Amino acid sequence: MKMSKIGLVIGREYMSRVRKKTFILLTILIPILVVGLMFLAMWLGIEKTKHVKVLVADPNGLCEGEIFIGQDENPPATFYFYEDFVDSADFAGRADFQEYDVLIALNPEVITNKKIGGLYREQPNSETTTYIRNKLELRLEEYFAKHKGVPLETYREIRTPTHFKLKALDDSPDKELQEIAQVIGLVFSIFIFIFILVYAAQVMRSVIEEKTSRVVEIIVSSIQPRKLMMGKIVAVGLVGMTQFLIWIILISVFMVVLQSTIFPDFSDPSNWQGIAETGNVPGQIQTAMETSGERSIWADAIYHHVDWVALIILFLIYFIGGYLLYGSLFAMIGSAVDSETDTQQLMLPVMMPLMFSYLVSIMIMGNPDGGTAIAFSHIPFSSPIVMLQRVATGTVPFYEVLISLALLIATFLMTTYLAGKIYRVGILMYGKKVSWKEIIKWIRY
Amino acid sequence: MEMLRTENIVKQYAGHKALDDITISTKKGEIFGLLGPNGAGKTSLIRIINQITGPDSGKVYLQGKEIKREDIARIGYLPEERGLYKKMKVKEQALYFARLKGMSKQDAKKKLEEWFEKFEITSWYDKKVEELSKGMAQKIQFITTVIHEPELLILDEPFSGFDPINTELIKSEILRLKESGTSIMLSTHNMNSVEEICDSIALINQSKLVVNGSLKEVKERYRTHTYAVQFKGLMFGFANALFASFALEHSEQIDEDRAIAHVKLLKGNTLNDLLRTVMPVVEIEAVNEVIPTMNDIFIRAVKGETEEGGDENE
Repeated sequence: MKMSKIGLVIGREYMSRVRKKTFILLTILIPILVVGLMFLAMWLGIEKTKHVKVLVADPNGLCEGEIFIGQDENPPATFYFYEDFVDSADFAGRADFQEYDVLIALNPEVITNKKIGGLYREQPNSETTTYIRNKLELRLEEYFAKHKGVPLETYREIRTPTHFKLKALDDSPDKELQEIAQVIGLVFSIFIFIFILVYAAQVMRSVIEEKTSRVVEIIVSSIQPRKLMMGKIVAVGLVGMTQFLIWIILISVFMVVLQSTIFPDFSDPSNWQGIAETGNVPGQIQTAMETSGERSIWADAIYHHVDWVALIILFLIYFIGGYLLYGSLFAMIGSAVDSETDTQQLMLPVMMPLMFSYLVSIMIMGNPDGGTAIAFSHIPFSSPIVMLQRVATGTVPFYEVLISLALLIATFLMTTYLAGKIYRVGILMYGKKVSWKEIIKWIRY
Repeated sequence: MEMLRTENIVKQYAGHKALDDITISTKKGEIFGLLGPNGAGKTSLIRIINQITGPDSGKVYLQGKEIKREDIARIGYLPEERGLYKKMKVKEQALYFARLKGMSKQDAKKKLEEWFEKFEITSWYDKKVEELSKGMAQKIQFITTVIHEPELLILDEPFSGFDPINTELIKSEILRLKESGTSIMLSTHNMNSVEEICDSIALINQSKLVVNGSLKEVKERYRTHTYAVQFKGLMFGFANALFASFALEHSEQIDEDRAIAHVKLLKGNTLNDLLRTVMPVVEIEAVNEVIPTMNDIFIRAVKGETEEGGDENE
């Protein structure tokens, strides 16, 4: 079977890269690192909210030996009751009290002076402290309700929190949600920035390698220089895609394997404090502080607000577009120099828009639909980095994405065309230190 | 039969002309030498023939038909700046080059085995190029140039950079390929090898074609009508007899009464006239025409001297 020449070039470039030890190592190590860090973060998170045993000294039996726990709650503390006074010496010394972390004194005067005090062995975190306080307060309120003749069921119904939400008139999403979505978008921007830089630099290095090993003239006597360059760019791009794909697969597999074997509890989202959403079960009592506001908004943003499918698809499209644009420029530079050390001066004008886009994407945080953001998400040299961040907020009209993509495609067609012309001349030019002025002249050769 | 013809090739690079109206033609089955000093435009012309760059104007014909992209499969090219992928295995690399030239994988494998067996280097298959010595890499380089059995072989400075043993090997391979019908074009500085193996030459100097033709024709054209006369007698008498019709270029004494004198015929005089003039004075032992070497021709052409007898008279 005869392969097309560009196919042969792609095949060689691709195989020589994916067989490299560094590629294999990186492709396997990154998912291990990512999954490892994720589990480390989870593990640290769980460690922080260590379950606390609370001993409630309730000589008058105000609590009647129980505290109401909602059915979907994940309490950071459990309450135990002791129907007598417990003093600090007993709590410190008595063997049967050693298992409790916190002692709460519910003195009879609490009905009148509303003062509750306690002791801890090791300070519980603020979340747990708040939880303990809320539960006890609630229990006291229930006590009052009962004594004022309100049935417990009625009281609990009254106490069910109201879901309150303000919505913008023009249906634009919540500002806070948008900001979180933009942070997620920024992460994508940074990824695109890094990947474009890494893979475009690989193209450049590969061009320089072919030039310095003097193999390039033999190759271009068999295949047009433009095709050789395109084959190289496509192959490196495919290597990048392969790496993404393997990462996604490996990360998923590692997650599943770890979840089902080593840490079955960790990966259950209900164990992650606050990230799990609190459902609205009738009859369940929630206090306002129970789940911290920030966290539930994060969860809301991650689970409902961000359109992951669109984001990932656009990530790939913009990565390809941006990579082709910058890859061709880097190939151009590679063709013009004799060694990698000569690239620095030529790199500056190419690196500048890339670095600048990165800065813009940080600058427009909080204002994803401002003039700067709109402008730079259309300029092809910055759109791959800036647009994703805006897309994540979900406020970008579809036509803007189309315009930005059309401009990006038109530009990379132009840059690959020009790069091809320059590449053709550059690869056969040895021993000459060139400037951009010189390079521009080559277009007309 | 004509193999390759370039017609009025012009190539201009920002401000300087690399090739100025170059028209050359090579015959099928001959070895054609493309000569010229550094920077004359040889490599530019070779790159245009290989379709690596295009001419600004002018055309290239292969066996009478204007050259097309597909024709590169019929050409084998060894550039002056040559090398191999250092990290790639020898066999994979050779196969890659062969397939780029349009060979199928099977054919390429078969041919490769033939060549490797011929050069007795089959043990190198799985070696990376960086593990080979320079001489070994040169052999691989040559194989990759000829593996697809090109009709036209273009070698840019084939003898530079090769060690003497490989130079001999390649010279004999070039001659063997010629025997089997391959047309060869080579550029070189090495005038000895031109005399040894070239049938025709073209000399380019400062972007222009200066000399062109078969080796015999060129030598004929660059005749200086100078003869080496070996005689017995007095040098003084010999020189005096020459008078104005002949010029004594130089002379050397062999022993006490014998010498060799290089004499140039002037003003339409013939060898017979020369002999008639000097016979009364000395005893002639031998007469040979002084044929210019390619080296002489090269230097004279580059210095801009005219053909046919140099710059003295006319």
